[in-house]
Amino acid sequence: MQLVDVLAIVLLAAAGLVFVVGESALARAEDLTALYWLVVGVVSLRAAVQIARPGAKA
Amino acid sequence: MRVEGMLQRLSSVGAAAQATVPGVYAWGVTVAPAAWSRGAPVLAKIAAIAAVLALLGGVAGERAWGGRVRVVSLWGFVLASALAWSAAPASLGPLRIDAPRGIAGMLGWALFAFASAAPALQGPREEDRLVPGEELVARKGVARGDAIYIAGGALVAAVLQLMGWRAPTAERALLVRFVALATGLAILGAATQVALARHSVRLRQSRTRRLRRAMAVLVTLALLALTGVLFALRG
Repeated sequence: MQLVDVLAIVLLAAAGLVFVVGESALARAEDLTALYWLVVGVVSLRAAVQIARPGAKA
Repeated sequence: MRVEGMLQRLSSVGAAAQATVPGVYAWGVTVAPAAWSRGAPVLAKIAAIAAVLALLGGVAGERAWGGRVRVVSLWGFVLASALAWSAAPASLGPLRIDAPRGIAGMLGWALFAFASAAPALQGPREEDRLVPGEELVARKGVARGDAIYIAGGALVAAVLQLMGWRAPTAERALLVRFVALATGLAILGAATQVALARHSVRLRQSRTRRLRRAMAVLVTLALLALTGVLFALRG
């Protein structure tokens, strides 16, 4: 496992945590905070997938 | 052997009977408490009884008239349940439904939908084998690590479903459920993609290429983090 694979897993886990925080804020009617965390979560997921995808095939 | 015998007996009772078990569970968790709640009209009680009769009638009807009765039973059950809820709308307010009951009801209806839509369980069909006497071997098994990724994604998706059940208004509760569903699906999809990407053949220099490709997203993420820190310091 390469270091970038670990980074992808960390970003994936962070996205999950951030979604939980964002949804919690949404339930408390703190819309701006919820929107911020949800956007951070989506960007983290996108980064995790882009890093995990193979660069080139042998 | 005992489990096999139980499955044999279960498969012989038909699809409507198999769907009855989760149907009665869903009815018991969501319809009956609404119909017999304080202040619920008689119409809600009659509709709730009609729903469970439609469900049980499907079992007897399937044996007598075949599989077409399942459709009548399914729609009778669903529409009568909807009528019971409509007649007692106050019992469905966010303040009257606690989180465990809401989750149990959601699971019950999902299981009922699955059992109703899926074909009936069948017992062993030795006579239908294309290659007699030999078990077919799977071409490829699921790698051990993949299950951990999927289980992690499913765990986060499940945790997301546990949140927001005490939202102040019905509209807010619906919005939270919708967002929880969408984010849960996104997490599951991303976990699957990351798990599958491990099996791709990679070149050594692909590490730099992968980081360079994700650079724009990583910079966006860093900017968002910086913005969050600045706002937190100001607040």
